[in-house]
Amino acid sequence: MHLLELIGVTKRFGGLVAINKIDMKVNEGEFLGVVGPNGSGKTTLFNLINGVYFPDEGKILFNGKDITRLAPYRRAPLGIGRTFQIPRPFLSATVLENVAVGAMFGRMGSDLNIDGAFEIADQVINRLNFQNLRDKIASNLTPIEKKMMEIARALAMKPLLLLMDEAMAGMHPGSINEMVSFLKQVAVEEKIAVVSMVEHIMRAVVEMAERVVVLHQGSIIVDAPTKDALTDPKVIEVYLGKASEE
Amino acid sequence: MKQKYYPYIPVLLAYIVLFLIGKGVSGMWQLMSMLFFYCALGQAFNIFLGMTGYVDFGYVAFLGVGTYGMAITISKLSHIQGYGVLIIIAGFFLSMFMATLLSLAVGAVALRLRGAYFAIATIGVNEGFRFLIEGAKIWNGSEGIIFMSDLNRVIGSKTASSLCTFWADVFVVIIALLAAFVTLIYMRSKIGYALMALREDEDAAKVMGINVTKYKIIAFITSACFAGLLGASAWALKTPYVFPPEVFEIHYTVEAIIIVLLGGAGTLLGPIVGGLVYGLSKYYLSVIIPGFQLLIFAPIVIIIIILFPEGIIGMIKKGTKGKWIKRYIIY
Amino acid sequence: MKSPLRGGCFLKGMHGMIGNQILGNLLQGVILGTVYGMATMGLSLIFGVLKVVNVGHGAFIMVGAYCALLFFNSLGLNPIFALPVAFFLGGILGLFFYYSAMQRLLKAPELSTLLATFSIGVLLEEVVKLIFGSEFRGYNWMVDKVDLGLTIIPYSKIYAFLGSILIALALYIWFNKTRAGSAVRSVVEDEEGARVCGVNVRSTYAFSFALGIAITVLSGVLLTMFIPVGINPYMGGGYTLKAFVIAVLGGLASPYGAFFGGLVFGLIENGSYTIFALIPGVEPFALTRFFSFVILLLILLLRPEGILSKR
Repeated sequence: MHLLELIGVTKRFGGLVAINKIDMKVNEGEFLGVVGPNGSGKTTLFNLINGVYFPDEGKILFNGKDITRLAPYRRAPLGIGRTFQIPRPFLSATVLENVAVGAMFGRMGSDLNIDGAFEIADQVINRLNFQNLRDKIASNLTPIEKKMMEIARALAMKPLLLLMDEAMAGMHPGSINEMVSFLKQVAVEEKIAVVSMVEHIMRAVVEMAERVVVLHQGSIIVDAPTKDALTDPKVIEVYLGKASEE
Repeated sequence: MKQKYYPYIPVLLAYIVLFLIGKGVSGMWQLMSMLFFYCALGQAFNIFLGMTGYVDFGYVAFLGVGTYGMAITISKLSHIQGYGVLIIIAGFFLSMFMATLLSLAVGAVALRLRGAYFAIATIGVNEGFRFLIEGAKIWNGSEGIIFMSDLNRVIGSKTASSLCTFWADVFVVIIALLAAFVTLIYMRSKIGYALMALREDEDAAKVMGINVTKYKIIAFITSACFAGLLGASAWALKTPYVFPPEVFEIHYTVEAIIIVLLGGAGTLLGPIVGGLVYGLSKYYLSVIIPGFQLLIFAPIVIIIIILFPEGIIGMIKKGTKGKWIKRYIIY
Repeated sequence: MKSPLRGGCFLKGMHGMIGNQILGNLLQGVILGTVYGMATMGLSLIFGVLKVVNVGHGAFIMVGAYCALLFFNSLGLNPIFALPVAFFLGGILGLFFYYSAMQRLLKAPELSTLLATFSIGVLLEEVVKLIFGSEFRGYNWMVDKVDLGLTIIPYSKIYAFLGSILIALALYIWFNKTRAGSAVRSVVEDEEGARVCGVNVRSTYAFSFALGIAITVLSGVLLTMFIPVGINPYMGGGYTLKAFVIAVLGGLASPYGAFFGGLVFGLIENGSYTIFALIPGVEPFALTRFFSFVILLLILLLRPEGILSKR
């Protein structure tokens, strides 16, 4: 059984078909890259998996359960976590509180009380090595720090599937390497499947993903192991001029 | 007492001090009574406005419905002899019940809406409810209910008069203390964090597993219940009559908003500070420039909104670095 | 002894009278509704562009009413002359409040702008009270009435009706045929897109706010041509509430929606009043207002974009 499965999923906005009969699978603990130029439907795809939108056609299964029309707040406890491209911190709360909220309502949420949630938050923050930011109010964080917190918060949800939306955007190359290797470590330990969505930073995809799915105008044009996918002529054509961006 | 309830201490102290001033210094009880009301109003309203960030412009409807609850109980049950105070207690229960019902009805419609639509819907409920009472002549319609004599019959005129001048205010203080306590409990529980999350970023909160509708309703009903109790005591028991245009006056909602905003929305001490500052300013302004307090208040409110949206306590919280202060005193 | 035939004719006569009365009422409703609609266009414009609900809407209508009052009582001129003055006064007030307050609140949460516009309304009310006192004032513009068979309507109301239509038409032309108007429309539809196309969104905000207020103050004059009495500093409140219902009816962001929403509202208001007046034991005036809020809530529940907007 696949962890996540999309079967024939279609999403329209008015006359525009954003996602066109997509079939996609993600396996437990897998690292998947979703790649595609602007407008190819990546964000919509994530929103469908998250529950922000419901598909017009098709089914979405998570661990065999049909979540196609499940409300977004019900998907988090099942184990779906997400980071946003532009971080969405709870600005008036501290970093610790932000991360704790992730734990409180995530997969382990119903087993945790407040103190338990804060403990988990502390653990995750220590793991990611930014204890110094622990009590800082989120509105005072730099953009990079906000991104770190975003990831921490998602991890605190103890997800089985982590959807990462342009997580590396805005980071400078040195940190990307660090971040990638670190994420891989955590994901392997916690058996989290990571779906990383990128438009620009190809290196993050190459280093991290075992398999890549390439989106173009709402359809999957390639679904193959990373090396093969990124050298596929169809992909290069779609990305004309962008393929070697580093 | 558990450490997490320490922030309640300043709240308790504040009301005790006010109470002592009121009883101790002659002539101050009237002022204290007004301050109690504003603090309680702020405390009750803060549970919804402060914690969710939604503006219920029709909040006064809950006060009104609470007033009716007490009025109806007293006037309908006044012929039953010998139950005295129990009837008053029954009145409180009816007020709470009616406020809960109304809040469920309002919530079902309004809580699906966001921002400005929510505000408009709540104004609509307030006004609509008032005109329904007047139009369909429910509970005597626009003639209202006058139950002074009924009250006298229930508990005797001497008790009634001490009720109107003293005990009603004591009830108000109790309501304020309860509301503050519930606020603290919420703040320290998952409810509080869920509300904080949905206040900051409702969509992100949903994605993180928070059932925002459920928590909005919890805050809404709680806030409405306290308003109902407040209407029952500060309005019905102090002045034993109720007229629709008076108890559904939108300016009470505005006062509640100002108090919560001024003190610091979403904080525990904010409503007390806001209630005191607003109450005292209003009192002294009405002495200095009777009839024109609003002329001064209106631009001040605008300035506060632009320059100090977090309110007094909010600003202090932002400024203080000490964890100790934050955890125990200002909350 | 009355013959049954005569009795029958009598009944038929009654029918005709009631029917006429109802139609006459409805006609009055349409005319009043047009003015209401015009009065709401400013609210919708401001919401469409700035996404701000002007809770102080009624206070600006009140300012317009006082303009008409002053013109008539002090200068002896009929209120039509007050129209351009009211418009410019409104524009100035709009610019003043935009630059002093609203501009700084563009990024603030909803509560802030709601409260700010409300406070602006209160401020206006108190200033007017300070200058003019709080007694109810009115003026008496003696004009002929015209008999339309169904009902009798004074010319002042006809002028108000025509004025509303003309102004709404002028706005329509302006929105669709001028560059400035198109710029405003583009910001309503898609702010980011408009910005990308080179529209100066900031000055569009200021302009739209000022225009919205100007229209609102102007409509205050028109309203007094309909109801030249009861002018007092606090008269705005009721109109704000009506405006909300109308704006929601027509779609909060659409000035045209507001205009036609007003028409529909006028019809509903008069119609429901007529019906409620027939029911014994109720207060028709209060029930009518209750009914308008039921409509408001139904629309918010079922079709918040407004009945008259295209989805």
